[in-house]
Amino acid sequence: MSSIKFVYDASLAEYELSDSHPFKPVRLELTRTLLRELGLLEDRHIEAVKPLEPGLLRHVHDGDYVNAVKAVSQGRQVDGQLRYGLGTSDNPIFPNMHRAIKQVCAATVTAMDLVASGKVQRALSLAGGLHHAHAAQASGFCLYNDLAVGIEHVTRKYGLRVAYVDIDAHHGDGVQGLFYDRGDVLTFSIHESGRYLFPGTGNTFELGKGDGRGCSVNMPLEPFTEDDSYLTCLRDVLPKALDVFKPDMILLQAGADMHRRDPLADLALTVQGMAASYQFISELADDVCEGRLVATGGGGYDPFHAVPRAWAALWAVLSRQDLSENLPASWLEDWHARSPHPLPKQLSDNINQWQAISQRDTINKHNAAVVRRLLTTLDPIWEEQAQERNNPSSAVS
Amino acid sequence: MLVQDIMTQQVVAIDPDMPIGDVYALMQQRDIRHFPIVEDTSAGASTLVGIVSDRDIRLVGSALPQAPEGVKLADPVRKLMSSPVITTHPSDAVEESASLLRRKKIGAMPVLDEGELVGIVSAIDFLEALVRMTGVHRAASRLEVELTSDPSALAELSAAVASQGITILSVLSSQDDPASGTLVVSLRVTTIDIGKLARHLRSQSFNVIWPPEPPQTVGHTLASNAEHA
Repeated sequence: MSSIKFVYDASLAEYELSDSHPFKPVRLELTRTLLRELGLLEDRHIEAVKPLEPGLLRHVHDGDYVNAVKAVSQGRQVDGQLRYGLGTSDNPIFPNMHRAIKQVCAATVTAMDLVASGKVQRALSLAGGLHHAHAAQASGFCLYNDLAVGIEHVTRKYGLRVAYVDIDAHHGDGVQGLFYDRGDVLTFSIHESGRYLFPGTGNTFELGKGDGRGCSVNMPLEPFTEDDSYLTCLRDVLPKALDVFKPDMILLQAGADMHRRDPLADLALTVQGMAASYQFISELADDVCEGRLVATGGGGYDPFHAVPRAWAALWAVLSRQDLSENLPASWLEDWHARSPHPLPKQLSDNINQWQAISQRDTINKHNAAVVRRLLTTLDPIWEEQAQERNNPSSAVS
Repeated sequence: MLVQDIMTQQVVAIDPDMPIGDVYALMQQRDIRHFPIVEDTSAGASTLVGIVSDRDIRLVGSALPQAPEGVKLADPVRKLMSSPVITTHPSDAVEESASLLRRKKIGAMPVLDEGELVGIVSAIDFLEALVRMTGVHRAASRLEVELTSDPSALAELSAAVASQGITILSVLSSQDDPASGTLVVSLRVTTIDIGKLARHLRSQSFNVIWPPEPPQTVGHTLASNAEHA
């Protein structure tokens, strides 16, 4: 038995919001075929999607909202559908969208159940990662929140503590909001500052409330942040957050829109910088929760050029395989005609190809200040939590 | 936006005969910094007679020269309260009340409707209102556009945003250069794909300040993949 699974079904590509929409399922196929031709993805890795248990969706989403999604999926108009975020520019209505998004949720739940039950150590659900969906509102291309459904599943069925780590360029507002007062779910999000970027939240002062105080951690970084500063920020905060929280498993939302070429966000990472962040998080999982790690996709709007390379690197890290620097000629051959621009022949980006970021020093200093501000607030909260855990009788209330 | 939209309605008013020490204890307990003080009238109604802040109370018994002379914590709050009280009305505009608060350098104002105490509004409430006006409480992206002094400039911008099926949640503006009359407006708009909206606006000759034009790479522009992919 291999200890990693790639959850896959061709039907996952049906979550295509419209043919001109920037959220493109073709990136799943680009990644899968790239991994196949690299020899990193074999039949034994593939896991079929298990149907969603009835009722699981309703632990996350309001019944009225689900009914509205079902109705518009069948072409019916629903009163106040815009209030649910349905039929907007970001979330257009498309036929059978309820079925398509339910399948995405099922894929992420399948991946999380495999790991939570101990069947495998790691799993990947690349179609998942729809972190903006709220209990009763579609938002930012996300209809249902597969991540939250997966977290509900493993916390309810197995009683696990889940550390949700969101490295998408956008703040993971939906997941954070759904677990804001929960002490058994840590939501950690490192993203481009919401000062300009959607959804606008994810500030350092959003720390969780009630039992969940200290269990929401946000690192808003400057636009045009590059590899070094990004990785420094991640290293300065995430290990400590996980050390205090002591998760049973990590759920990584690995949106690939922090890449320099991504048209929907303004971070400036290279594929090798992204790969380094995957490696770092994978090693943390080994340290804090015996390697148990589920990863999903997420954003990533440069579907031909950046996303397949980044997600191939993600799979290589998860499955503990080496990835060659050269991309297979056969893969380039297969896809070049469909790509709107020349495909790269190498895994890594050549940073010299890009205009230098002129404000680099200012950006790095600003990011360092964010880390300091965050730790100043969190350190005392974490210290208190650590004390409570070591000595419950003298807990400070 | 009016005072009634932002004020605290569950107002805690106290009696002028309450001992100062008890008033402070109540402040701590309720996490409140200002209490209006009301007195029952013979007609059975009550009248606002003063206001007291946590700062006033902390000076009682202090060695500092500003300490009120001869006032002790056991004394009734009547001896310490500020009177007459600067008040506002529920239908006053938020910006008028905020500027009154700022000019008088006070922390809160009771809200009176026909002499009856209906709420209290504090500096924190005004800050909260400011934050809400920026629209950050709902998921949105920020767009900044410099408009000419043409009377129809803002109307054309909002029409161009609407034509893309995108809702505007808030509009803020600042006039950086009064001489030219140009106006920088900052909109919060309900889309994650702000780059697409910016390209549309630039194609309509709007001067979009944020998001910036995507950087160039050798060979092709980064934006091109979004257009064609």
